[in-house]
Amino acid sequence: MSDPIGLALAILGLPLAAAVLAALLSWTKLAKAAHVPLVVACAAAAVLGVMLLLKVGEGPDYRFVSTPVTWFSAGHLTVNFTVTVDPLSSVMLAMIAFVSTWIAIFSAGYMHGDGGYGRYFAVMSLFVFSMCGLVLANNFLLLVAFWEGVGLCSYLLVGYYFEKPSAASAARKAFLVTRIGDTGFLLGIFLLWKMGNWNTDLTALFDYLKDHPPDQAELTTACLLLFCGAVGKSAQFPLYVWLPDAMEGPTPVSALIHAATMVTAGVYLLARCAPLFVMSPDAQAVVAWAGGVTALLAAFLALAQTDLKRVLAYSTVSQLGYMFLALGTGGAVSPAFAVTAAMFHLFTHAFFKALLFLSAGSVMHAMGGVIDVRKFGGLRRLMPVTHLTFLCGAAALAGVPLLSGFWSKDLILESLTGAGASGRPYATGYFVLAVVAFLTAFLTAFYTFRAYFLTFWGPERVPEEAGHHAHESPAVMTIPLVVLAAGALFAGAVAEPFTHWFSNFLGHTPSLHQAEPAEHHFDWTTAGVGTALVVAGIGLAFLWYRKGTEGEPAGLKPAFALSRNKLYVDEVYEAAVVRPAGVLAFLSKALDGFLDALARLIAAVPRFVGDLARPVQNGLVQFYALSMALGLAVFLTFVVFRVAR
Amino acid sequence: MNPLSDPQLQQTFTGVFRLVVPEIALLGTACAAVLLGCFRNGRGLWFAVSLLGVAGAAVLAATVDQPAPPLPTAASIVPDAAAGFVRWLALAAAAALLFLSWPEVDDRTAAEYYGCLLVATAGVSLVGRANDLVTLFLALELISIPTYVLLYLPARTRVNQEAAAKYFLLSVMSSAVLLFGFSYLYGMTGSTNLTAVTAALARANAEALSPLALVGAVLVVAAVGFRITAVPFHFYAPDVYQGGPAGVVANLAVLPKVAGFAALARVLGLFGPDARSLPFDTATQLPLLLWILAVLTMTLGNVLALLQDDVRRMLAYSGVAHGGYMLMGVVVASALPDVRGAGPTVGGVEALFVYLAAYALMTLGAFAVVLYLSTPDRPVEAIDDLGGVGQTHPVAAGAMAMSLFSLIGLPLTAGFAGKLLLFVGAFTAPADTAAMRNLYRVLVVVAAVNAAVGAYYYLRVVGVMYLRSPLRPLDGSRSRPTLAAAVVLAAGTLVLGVYPQPLVTAARQAAPASGPPAGATAEAKSP
Repeated sequence: MSDPIGLALAILGLPLAAAVLAALLSWTKLAKAAHVPLVVACAAAAVLGVMLLLKVGEGPDYRFVSTPVTWFSAGHLTVNFTVTVDPLSSVMLAMIAFVSTWIAIFSAGYMHGDGGYGRYFAVMSLFVFSMCGLVLANNFLLLVAFWEGVGLCSYLLVGYYFEKPSAASAARKAFLVTRIGDTGFLLGIFLLWKMGNWNTDLTALFDYLKDHPPDQAELTTACLLLFCGAVGKSAQFPLYVWLPDAMEGPTPVSALIHAATMVTAGVYLLARCAPLFVMSPDAQAVVAWAGGVTALLAAFLALAQTDLKRVLAYSTVSQLGYMFLALGTGGAVSPAFAVTAAMFHLFTHAFFKALLFLSAGSVMHAMGGVIDVRKFGGLRRLMPVTHLTFLCGAAALAGVPLLSGFWSKDLILESLTGAGASGRPYATGYFVLAVVAFLTAFLTAFYTFRAYFLTFWGPERVPEEAGHHAHESPAVMTIPLVVLAAGALFAGAVAEPFTHWFSNFLGHTPSLHQAEPAEHHFDWTTAGVGTALVVAGIGLAFLWYRKGTEGEPAGLKPAFALSRNKLYVDEVYEAAVVRPAGVLAFLSKALDGFLDALARLIAAVPRFVGDLARPVQNGLVQFYALSMALGLAVFLTFVVFRVAR
Repeated sequence: MNPLSDPQLQQTFTGVFRLVVPEIALLGTACAAVLLGCFRNGRGLWFAVSLLGVAGAAVLAATVDQPAPPLPTAASIVPDAAAGFVRWLALAAAAALLFLSWPEVDDRTAAEYYGCLLVATAGVSLVGRANDLVTLFLALELISIPTYVLLYLPARTRVNQEAAAKYFLLSVMSSAVLLFGFSYLYGMTGSTNLTAVTAALARANAEALSPLALVGAVLVVAAVGFRITAVPFHFYAPDVYQGGPAGVVANLAVLPKVAGFAALARVLGLFGPDARSLPFDTATQLPLLLWILAVLTMTLGNVLALLQDDVRRMLAYSGVAHGGYMLMGVVVASALPDVRGAGPTVGGVEALFVYLAAYALMTLGAFAVVLYLSTPDRPVEAIDDLGGVGQTHPVAAGAMAMSLFSLIGLPLTAGFAGKLLLFVGAFTAPADTAAMRNLYRVLVVVAAVNAAVGAYYYLRVVGVMYLRSPLRPLDGSRSRPTLAAAVVLAAGTLVLGVYPQPLVTAARQAAPASGPPAGATAEAKSP
């Protein structure tokens, strides 16, 4: 039990057991207690996760790989069941278990009295299991299995209210859009399999490629294909469109899956595969630019959204873009530094974004399901706890100095300015991206506080739908909020800036290990500029929205309208992709009719042959014997003549 | 020294009994059943005794030490790894058959029924280890003769009796052909010992091909083709499957097929210690003949299965088609390594073993459900009889669907693992012999198309079970042992589909090393 692999497998097993138990409970009269297995399993997993963290931190070994158990093998393809524990995966695991625990507790209150209570918790448990498996998997195909597992759970939970057409179609959209990325992911895996001496184990593959440097073009292709998977799963441009729609699911689901964990799987994948990516500067530049474009675009889209959850969704997309920005600098700066920056932001983001979503959920709960910021306002006296926790989350997301978001954002900005000054290939590009990142920071502060002011300031307004619900949420919901708020405020400060615990710990990850230690120093200029922009953003939001109503100057209306209409991206996709696809579909349908007829013709052939052969089966035993004898004679003639010739 | 007083020879002869202790246990139980059944007959009693017999045989198989005979050229029994695999497969199939035939066994004939089943099982196991033409023939007859009895025992209608008579006549004919073929092999080499025969033929072929030896081999292939339902020796299958008692038909679909492939591999020397020197390699055109046989069998089986409205006839043709898939394994196993010494990445025998196990699981599973749902008043005959079973008998329908998915070869079922290995093996078989060239790859394409055709008629059954409402609801025989067998077999199909590696490893260890040994690639990776 004390060895890291045993701990990791225990963490993996707990949510699986919870999933089975919750599924069984939902069939019985105890369905109301379906949340108990998940809460207990997550809490236990969180404790084990912290133990694992301490264990791994002891050293001197920082990588533990379980003995591979062959899952299946055919020819060159061997797929092993094997997990790896290193600082990277243990940090991720502890974070997932901790955040899920509180979200599970919150869910128990939020979903109370819902018809699908058992189903909800069964799928949530399955999700936590798949996510832990994804983090631990040391084999690409095993990783894909869990990767699809989280995708499936996301589908089931986004479509939780499946009787609502919008939820059903959002679930379908999420599944199909990510599937586009997954196709690339699988192709990339098999390309790597071919390049890497038919290895599918991550550690073996990386070790092999380290010793046998592959062809640069091939490696770049493989990296970009892997990145395709990350783009789909982590909702990056141009495949980000599914994430805002995925907000149709219950709010705790948005908090857990679409903010804290699943969408970060792409970031984690790239961090895991960092040894490959650093060998390909071209791929890294693509990663950084994709991240930069996404960060800015999504921040702009978040400016004028009126749906509180959608603001947060676009903000998630934007922050994920931030993480990819940092990952893309690996190689230009030390890979350990780049990955630390991305993972640290992932870590702090999990806290404050989960907190923001849960607070929004608390608001939604009180407002009777209404989430449009135009319909309510001035809730700070009505819901004091939620107000304060939302403020904590918003301040952390905006990057107010000394809160956790500030430290992680600062690290990313530093990695970018460092990459810009590195003189490596694409340095100018990284410099431009640093500017983009600063701009995004400003926008982030602005839209976050816009949402905050619109929701909690100004005169008190409550929509009709709220009815008698309009009060502070029960303790089962507010306690997780308070805990996560503490995390959002202090997790960053505790983990990194003074002790450098996080970067030192992650730096031990063998796959990131480099000869020169990642030197990292606090850069006052970066921090100063960043803080100034944040203050400007918050100030502007205060100026325009402190009355709780929309008050942006008339001159900016067109820009806001553009943002509110999502830059017409859906419409552009509609016109550029869906319409032509529709025309194509019509043509295809015509062709399909033809092909169908052809296929039917072909399909008729076996039947026709069968009809021809059928009379032979006439039931007469003499005839059967004769056929056997004739068959034998034909075979004999065939062989003897072939040989004698 | 007088060869007769050679201690090794004596040791070889006296050591034989040690190698067949489990089979002796099975036969002993069978004898006890048939003899004592005269005094006291009853289903429960003899079911328990037979189960004990099988369990005892399994225990003996696991515990009794089996030293290899010192003189393989004189031994009539060889306890090699392949023989072990066939034995375990036979014992497992027998255990499943005991359970699933429960509703069919009559109290008056129970002892005879179970006795015959055990004898047939012993026969399969012996075929796997027979190393002598005479032993092999006797072992094969040890399967056939009890089967005649079994087919006749529960026969009450004319259809039943007709099926029994047909099987008897055609089976006798194929046995005659087999003996005829054996006589050629004996006449050519002067020995009935298979090790000696294959070695002599391999030596002779290296110098010049002998058409007469080939005649012998073709006769053997034709006779074994009857047991593995290869076209055109398959004619009996649909009629017998339709007319025979379902439990016996399940037996007929599995045991003779396992034995047939084991016998074929033995005679063609595919279980031999050196897979590189075969008595009938590609130069002899015999693999080409097997190729044709495989293509004919799988295609005709699938095409005719499409037209069937009777569940059992459909399963009969599906069995024919699967016989064709498994022949792929034999074709690949007789492929010669290429110039670099590399063979297929998945050995033919290895894939064949995996497929045999998967086939046994899924076919027995399907028959178990048919048996469970049939009652004497209301037997399951037409596919439409299964309408709405998904609602009325969810467990049985689930097991049936699992078996059918596996027969299609959908991923996460044992059938997929089997097909994958067969296809990978055939696809990577070296193509530089004059006789075969790219025919191996053509074979894979043909098999893949066939698998797609097969999906149609299996899915049709699934569709009827779940999407149709019952016309006349089935009662179900409430035979719990049968249902238990169906569930266990379906679960096995699923488990071995999700985690096939134990089966694959067992099959790999049982098969002789062919191509680049699996260990070699693993070793290349590990450092």
